Amino acid sequence: MEGVSYQRFPKVKIRELKDDYLKFELRETDASMANALRRVMLAEVPTIAIDLVEIEGNSSVLNDEFLAHRLGLIPLTSDRAMVMRFSRDCDACDGDGQCEFCSVEFHLHVRCDSDQTLDVTSHDLVSSDPSVVPVDVQRADSVGYDTSEQRGIIIVKLRRGQELRLRAIARKGIGKDHAKWSPAATVTFMYEPEIHINEDMMETLSLEEKREWIESSPTKVFGLDPNTQQVIVIDAEAYTYDDEVIKKADSMGKSGLVEIYAKEDSFIFTVESTGAIKASQLFINAIEVLKQKLDAVRLSEDTEEADDQFGELGAHMRGG
Amino acid sequence: MGAGTETTPDYEALRELFKPHIESFDYFVEAGLETMLANIKPVEVFDTSTNSKLRIWFGKPELYPPTKDVKSGMRDPLFPFECRQAGISYSGRFIADVWFQYNDGAAVREKFSFGQLPIMLKSKVCHLRGADPVKLVSSKEEATEMGGYFILNGLERLARLLIMPKRNYPTSVVRSAFIEREVGYTDKAVTIRCVRVDQSAVTVKLYYLQNGSARLGFWIRGREYLLPVGVVLKALIDTYDHEIYVSLTCCYSEACQREKGAVGTQLLGERVKIILDEVRNLSLFTHHQCLRHIGEYFRHVMDGLETKRNSHVGEAVLREYIFVHLDNNNDKFNLLIFMLQKLFALVDQTAAPDNPDTLQFHEVLLPGHLITIYLKEKLQEWLTKGRRLLTDEIKNKGKKFDFKSFVDVKKVLDKNSPKQIGIAVENMLKTGRLVTQSGLDLQQRTGMTVQAERLNFLRFLSHFRAVHRGATFAGLRTTTVRKLLPESWGFLCPVHTPDGEPCGLLNHLTSTCRITSFFDSRGNIRDFFKIRMSIEHVLVDVGMTASLPKGVRAGPPEVLSVLLDGRIIGSIPSSKVEKAVAKIRQLKLSGFSGIPEDLEVGYVPLTMGGTYPGLYLFTSPSRFARPVRNISLSSEEKQDIELIGPFEQAYMEIRCADGGDGGRRSIFPATHEEIHPTGMLSVVANLTPWSDHNQSPRNMYQCQMAKQTMGFSSQALQFRADQKLYHLQTPQTPIVRTRAYKKYNIDEFPTGTNAIVAVLAYSGYDMEDAMILNKSSVDRGLCRGSIYQTEFVDLAESEKSDQALKVFARSNLDKHSHSLIDADGLPYVGQLLRPSDPYYSVYNTVTSTTKNTILKGSEAVIVDYVGVDVRNHKKPLQKASIRFRRPRNPVIGDKFSSRHGQKGVCSQLWPDIDMPFSGVTGMRPDLIINPHAFPSRMTIGMLLESIAAKGGSLHGKFVDATPFPSSVKNEKSSESSSLVDELGSMLTSYGFNYHGVEVLYSGFLGTELTCEIFIGPVYYQRLRHMVSDKFQVRSTGTVDQVTRQPIKGRKRGGGIRFGEMERDSILAHGAAYLLHDRLHTSSDHHIADVCSLCGGLLTASFMQPQKRAMREIGGLPPGRDDKKVTCHACKTSKGMDKVAMPYVFRYLAAELAAMNIKMTLKLSNNAEA
Repeated sequence: MEGVSYQRFPKVKIRELKDDYLKFELRETDASMANALRRVMLAEVPTIAIDLVEIEGNSSVLNDEFLAHRLGLIPLTSDRAMVMRFSRDCDACDGDGQCEFCSVEFHLHVRCDSDQTLDVTSHDLVSSDPSVVPVDVQRADSVGYDTSEQRGIIIVKLRRGQELRLRAIARKGIGKDHAKWSPAATVTFMYEPEIHINEDMMETLSLEEKREWIESSPTKVFGLDPNTQQVIVIDAEAYTYDDEVIKKADSMGKSGLVEIYAKEDSFIFTVESTGAIKASQLFINAIEVLKQKLDAVRLSEDTEEADDQFGELGAHMRGG
Repeated sequence: MGAGTETTPDYEALRELFKPHIESFDYFVEAGLETMLANIKPVEVFDTSTNSKLRIWFGKPELYPPTKDVKSGMRDPLFPFECRQAGISYSGRFIADVWFQYNDGAAVREKFSFGQLPIMLKSKVCHLRGADPVKLVSSKEEATEMGGYFILNGLERLARLLIMPKRNYPTSVVRSAFIEREVGYTDKAVTIRCVRVDQSAVTVKLYYLQNGSARLGFWIRGREYLLPVGVVLKALIDTYDHEIYVSLTCCYSEACQREKGAVGTQLLGERVKIILDEVRNLSLFTHHQCLRHIGEYFRHVMDGLETKRNSHVGEAVLREYIFVHLDNNNDKFNLLIFMLQKLFALVDQTAAPDNPDTLQFHEVLLPGHLITIYLKEKLQEWLTKGRRLLTDEIKNKGKKFDFKSFVDVKKVLDKNSPKQIGIAVENMLKTGRLVTQSGLDLQQRTGMTVQAERLNFLRFLSHFRAVHRGATFAGLRTTTVRKLLPESWGFLCPVHTPDGEPCGLLNHLTSTCRITSFFDSRGNIRDFFKIRMSIEHVLVDVGMTASLPKGVRAGPPEVLSVLLDGRIIGSIPSSKVEKAVAKIRQLKLSGFSGIPEDLEVGYVPLTMGGTYPGLYLFTSPSRFARPVRNISLSSEEKQDIELIGPFEQAYMEIRCADGGDGGRRSIFPATHEEIHPTGMLSVVANLTPWSDHNQSPRNMYQCQMAKQTMGFSSQALQFRADQKLYHLQTPQTPIVRTRAYKKYNIDEFPTGTNAIVAVLAYSGYDMEDAMILNKSSVDRGLCRGSIYQTEFVDLAESEKSDQALKVFARSNLDKHSHSLIDADGLPYVGQLLRPSDPYYSVYNTVTSTTKNTILKGSEAVIVDYVGVDVRNHKKPLQKASIRFRRPRNPVIGDKFSSRHGQKGVCSQLWPDIDMPFSGVTGMRPDLIINPHAFPSRMTIGMLLESIAAKGGSLHGKFVDATPFPSSVKNEKSSESSSLVDELGSMLTSYGFNYHGVEVLYSGFLGTELTCEIFIGPVYYQRLRHMVSDKFQVRSTGTVDQVTRQPIKGRKRGGGIRFGEMERDSILAHGAAYLLHDRLHTSSDHHIADVCSLCGGLLTASFMQPQKRAMREIGGLPPGRDDKKVTCHACKTSKGMDKVAMPYVFRYLAAELAAMNIKMTLKLSNNAEA
């Protein structure tokens, strides 16, 4: 078995791409790779989020920690995040996280002097770095969005005489440390289903029975061909592996009417970004992070320990 | 937040819940106080030297709204929030007229100030009365503030609703304790709790004796006095033996001896003879002789009647102790006859005894009434004490004292400070303890008030809806009083009672239950005299014969006695009674007849050996009442909601609201119908969604846990100074909710979060009711909360010990603390304080030193608010309150619960990526619970909630989860399909599985989980039990001074006791080394010097080593001194040895030595010896 490579060459096919949405197929790999990608996208792609808040004055109804927590959860545009340093290993500022390499400073000063309730929103946050701003601010600046619609993310509401003044420092971080650094709202994948309808058995069903059987699936997987009155697969990927149609077939006494397998090596990914980084960039960054992680493992490739440690996998890693 | 002003929410339903408290206090303020003062016995002082008589009595009272005590004369109103923050009482001035009259001269009125009386919030003398939500918010209260409680020293307390025996109703009881009363007594008696107009009560018991006679017993100053009934009968009215005989035996007729409802037996005549003989044997024959006999007997216990004749005293006894609810002696006579007949029926087993534990014979003690009777006794005491002071003064012949001088009399009266009265009432409410000699006819003297905790709104609300059975029953071995009896249906919630020690004793009123009051529905005080008159008129119209002047001499089964508030008003033929009852019920609803809407028409029908029959009518306040629909009326009647009481309910035919006959046959057609089945549940129990699908104990657990949930306890948090307040940062409104949720505006005080709950066994960390929380959800704010704690610092208080004046100031020398303490000596608001940081400093003007106070505990706090008391402008600041905020975010070990009695402890906080996820939606659950939580607990409601909330959130609508929907007729005509079907099809329409399950993928591996997972949003509550408040660890630390063993107590950094049972189990394991480690090495390990010659443990004495200077040369550390130890007793160091032992052993030796016992040790190196 010595020297056998397990290396595979996964293929990616982008299906749909928007700023904050990505749908792609990942083929010719296995669940471990797909899941690793998912986990990295959720928790290890760095972004920038407010991490330190110095409250100078707060007479609002919310307490300081509450405000700090809310500020932290505001997504900031984090295209810079990959090149920034983590403040804990920043040489320029000795890790206190207050230099241009590892941090971005924000200021907020709002005071309500009218009888109307004043909304303090993410628009009121003044950034020291124009490339790191609250996500909706950037969106409001770009064309294609109706600016009047964009009211920003509400931080707190103020009444007459109330004031909020603070300084916040945003830092680079990863979702593993705190969910506020997670660039993804949702990352999910499913196995591509493979559906085989037993046509002969299907033909034994009456039209009414066919309809009933199709209806048994809560999602629109099957349909009737309007011309031939045959049951056809409309959307295989709508299948949620809920086995409803199989159960239905069993209860109709037609076991084996349909066979559904999950393809072990094909995955359909859905990625939704918080807006901190574009969905496409998120994916690319995730691969980058994953590579770095693997590099860290490979550091010990030449040593004998690697083989002790990983056994056959050691060889696998050397081969890659 | 935001614009909620367009539609000011109506909190009427909420306010209704607090009404019993407020109405009773309103009555106290408006009329009760005056009635009570009028009922206080005047006192007379007689001066023999001048031969003049002074008569003193009370006149009109005045009670003022609370004001600030500003010396400048202007009286600014004092608001409740100021009292809370300053830690003072919300009380108003109480002034009353006292009248003085010399001989028969003109009466002089003088105003006396009786101090400050606590004022109930939102009562008629409260500043918040009638304030709308906007005004309430501007007076720094909740928008929903309901009042009903008092503020005493800044704490909110309320009077507990206590169960009392129903007033003015003779109950027959069988109690074995009666036998031991005296020789010849049996276990049977008839008791009646008589209540005067001023709410003070006297209980009278009528005991049956073995010889066939009866004794009348009542309590005066903690002693029971017993009188033969014959004497009382004769003393009451001028009558003759034959009349008594006829009156008593009238309920027996030979003709209907075996008929239904016959209560009399042949034995009656014999018994009456015995009763009459008893009187004759005392050689009392006439009315006056009996009166004088009583007078003579009671002379020594009756105050202020020393100079009066015996007959006068006798009359006073009858007036003040026997059937005090009646004024007329004829009425008293009739009632006593009735009670005797009931007693004899009980003895002859022609009538069954009444169960004293049922709600049928209960009413409730209201705060206004409690204060009235307590205040009455205090004022009466004040008057009698004043009289004693005056007579003493006269006796002593004080030079300056002139009895005729009004000023002098007043001066003497002022010696007995009238201000004490207000303080006494305040202390009673503060401590809940009654300081009384008479006992006020209450069964308990402590626990009359409780603190209204604002842990969350439901707990706060429950305090006002709780009724306690009484402290005397808590100690009882028997559990009969705790039983849930069918009579309490609709009045007390069967679900909402705590389990454990107060189970069944502390009940809660149902959401629809009310307490009758002195006020009618229009808010006017009722004229009971007029009401009773109109009831009598109506009854006479329907065939009743009035008892006065001469009633019908007959008894059941031909005629039934009619009792109205404990007075026999007549008798009605049993053939006409049912019609009469129907007529009264009809008039009760009409509203204009002068018959109150909450009149209780207790018609006890004729039975064979059942309850003693009769028609008992009650108009009195403090009865339970609940609405039901009267369906016997013709349909043109608009008003068909009738208020019924627990007494009459037992004899009524009330069917369920589902329209069926409930299994009753046509012989007993239903006359009434329940309005809604949820009316039998308390407010808290009503909030459990689909509680009809849960196993009943789970609903009980939920009622308890709802009250210990961390929620949005107060919206006026900024202005509160509670000792401890739990606050949830981001609460949500439940998606699945009952109708009660909306009705009671619980959205003002939400208590939980809609969490996505997956039911699966994932890893092992959700075993045994543990649950896995999603760390990322917590990061995003799930169940975050904080504790607010207020600390009061009063420098004036500590001043008493040393006379030095202390002021808040920081030290100029100690610059370290300047970052924590401001120039005024108090902390900065918003400052983070770490353990052992100073947070305020006090300057002592005498010693010229500043002292910092250091933060205790092991966690950091944030200063939330600093309040100062500036009532006294001239003096330097003495009193301040500091409110801390402790952030409490979910951690491992915190407790959570759904609304179905499913509690669990967080065992892991896992990041998003490790949680299972749905392939379709990418959804990760917020928390994971184990499927084993369901089979044995059968909380189907929780499963339904999960499905419903899933459907509801997809649909964008709240789901109604009111229990018992199928038990109501025309409610949502979807009876064809089941609830599950309805919810399931809603899910399928959104592309989800019918049963609410989904396919999930493992978060670790990315592979599909082998079975489908039940997942959906469930409203989760965070309970207040948190590890941060409870964990206890210790490695080394303080030890006990005497035993040198580690101390106990979490606060002081002590350990957890390794007790006998723990020792036993270690012994059983044979783990000797561990045992030695725990009990010796890690405890009070000690090496003692023992003299092997004399065996003495305490005789060792140390000699100073001589060559000390030599050792320190060369900068070497001084090695261990081998101190020379000698035995003090043997005068030698030869036999000294070192022995390891627990220090307590040495202590034991010392203690024994102190008792002249010598303990000796035998030392040996041989293990066998």
